[in-house]
Amino acid sequence: MSRINWPLAVSVAAVIAGTFAVAGTVCAQPKEPIKIGAVLSITGPAAGLGIPERNGAQAAVKSINARGGVNGRPIMLIIEDDTTNPDTAVTKTNGLIFNQDVAAIIGGSNFAASVAMGGITDKQKVPQFAFTGLGPAIEKTRHCVFHMFTPHYLNARTLFEYSRSINAKKVAVLHDSGYGAVVVRELAGIMKDYPDIQVGTIEKFDITATDVTTQAAKIKAGNPDAIFVFAVNAVPFRAIRALQMTQPIIALNGASSYETVSAMGSAADNVIIPEFLVAEDPLPRQKDFINYFVKEIGAKPKNPESVAWDAIHVIAAALTKAGTETRREKLCEAIRGPYAGVTTDYDFSAEDMTGIKLSGYIFSKLVKGQYTRLPFVIK
Amino acid sequence: MSLSLILQAALAGITNGFTYALVGIGIAAIFKGTRIINVMQGEFCVTGAMVTVLLLNNAHWPYWAAILGGVLSGVVVGMLINVLFVRYMMRKGATQQTFILLTIGLAITMSAAVLFFIGRSGYVLPPFGGEDATVILGAVVQSHAVWLILIALGITAGLKLFYHRTTIGIAMMGASIDADGATTIGINVPRMNMLTFALGGGLGAIAGILVTPLVSVDYAIGVNLTLKGFAAAILGGLTNPLGAVVGGLTLGLIESLAIVAVSSSYKDVIAMTILIAIMIFMPNGMLGRGGRRGG
Repeated sequence: MSRINWPLAVSVAAVIAGTFAVAGTVCAQPKEPIKIGAVLSITGPAAGLGIPERNGAQAAVKSINARGGVNGRPIMLIIEDDTTNPDTAVTKTNGLIFNQDVAAIIGGSNFAASVAMGGITDKQKVPQFAFTGLGPAIEKTRHCVFHMFTPHYLNARTLFEYSRSINAKKVAVLHDSGYGAVVVRELAGIMKDYPDIQVGTIEKFDITATDVTTQAAKIKAGNPDAIFVFAVNAVPFRAIRALQMTQPIIALNGASSYETVSAMGSAADNVIIPEFLVAEDPLPRQKDFINYFVKEIGAKPKNPESVAWDAIHVIAAALTKAGTETRREKLCEAIRGPYAGVTTDYDFSAEDMTGIKLSGYIFSKLVKGQYTRLPFVIK
Repeated sequence: MSLSLILQAALAGITNGFTYALVGIGIAAIFKGTRIINVMQGEFCVTGAMVTVLLLNNAHWPYWAAILGGVLSGVVVGMLINVLFVRYMMRKGATQQTFILLTIGLAITMSAAVLFFIGRSGYVLPPFGGEDATVILGAVVQSHAVWLILIALGITAGLKLFYHRTTIGIAMMGASIDADGATTIGINVPRMNMLTFALGGGLGAIAGILVTPLVSVDYAIGVNLTLKGFAAAILGGLTNPLGAVVGGLTLGLIESLAIVAVSSSYKDVIAMTILIAIMIFMPNGMLGRGGRRGG
């Protein structure tokens, strides 16, 4: 019988054991997270949008990570505050792309930030999900900048569609000097498709105005059947009702938040808003999101929360499909296409980088300060 | 253009004018007592209104007690601003420009603090006189607007008496006109400055409480109120609270009538053009000369 070389045998066994130990340690290490950047207006005048967008994004990340992340890799959301300043948004975007090497960026919370950021993200081919509709013409050339809200002309059309449904022949417009002024510019092009509806008085107020009673009085003098309000705060709604005008107010979804409704006070009645989510009476596709959000955040979500939720999930879905190492133009390509979100159905290959259709809107109505969902749908 | 529309515009202008005046009165009071231009007057309004909202809605105090609490909060914040910042900077010989920067910084800080601690929601307070409104020749007048105007007039008259008929009021004016001379005759100038800021804070809080039932209050409204109040105060003569009323009414009526007579798109252009013309011909404000005489 040959003699066993015990020192050699023990050494080999030790090497084998050590190899397994190292392999086991490597396998036990958590996978490297996927970084997603967020440039949002957490402070400043647009904080009313930025804060709920942040909450929606954080809820989405938490939900995805609780289910194992993207192909086993957790998402790390890096949030930057642009303080509602587009210059700051650009600085933060550069930091996220070049220092943090994020896979994608969500934001900005307003047009100025979105357009400014797009100059960087599109050049670097980092997918960006703007929480605004398509803005200036240059945005049509930015194929890596996707939009989570509808363009202005579509928003304006919804008001005419609803007016037609209630047989309103004459409408008046009360709009602010910011977002409202941009939408008003779209009206001329839309009105020719609605010859049965006459647009009478159009009155403007400064976005920082604390009172618009005089403008509302001019609206009242025109005796419209319905009043379009393009604003993001409660001031015009209060002014209209203070003058004892009872016509339905049809507002853009920028005004649809629990905070604005609270500020409207008793004026939050007979106000119709074409939007996408009514937590009090959700669509079947939205129930799970709303239940999760209420449980995790403790408040009911509205449109900003849901689009942020969708944006994170779109990125996750694209990475799942194309591979978690996919970046830049290839990731943009993976995103371009239809996506059935909680908010609505998107198609990021559409010319407006959103693909939302008129039929994707739902209509809410404020009844004594409470949201209700109307059965009206645009066919 | 109907009579009811013109009347409605005039009423809106008067209501807005007194809103601007209420803020401007606080700015004028602080300037009168310390020669400091207080850019954070709007934040005193927000403080008073927010505290009232919290005491009413969260602590369930009776409305009158919540209002008193709100006014007191403005007084306390005004005193703290003076004690913690202004007094130190005065000892260091800070210039008027430095104080402007201080109050700008404090305004931004307070706005951010409201956003952080209270959130971004807007809040309303119950209007005085309820939701009642009177219709006069087709124009709607809310009860609360009438209360606002009456209280503003009462405050103006009260301040006039305060500065001319009370020892403290005269002492506060003396301390601001000539601090060394005031000290010589036994006036405690730092205490007078503190009382001036307390007065300004209280007036700002009252303004915020009166305005909130009409416009709602949130973290961002302070700067807008300050700008309008500042315009009213400058227009009327910075040292004269009555001037703030005259300036506020002038500004409010010009804005409203410009909307009705021309267009809402040109409201600011027309209003500012007229205001610039007034300032060119009356650089001390419409009642500014009276202020220099101690009025």
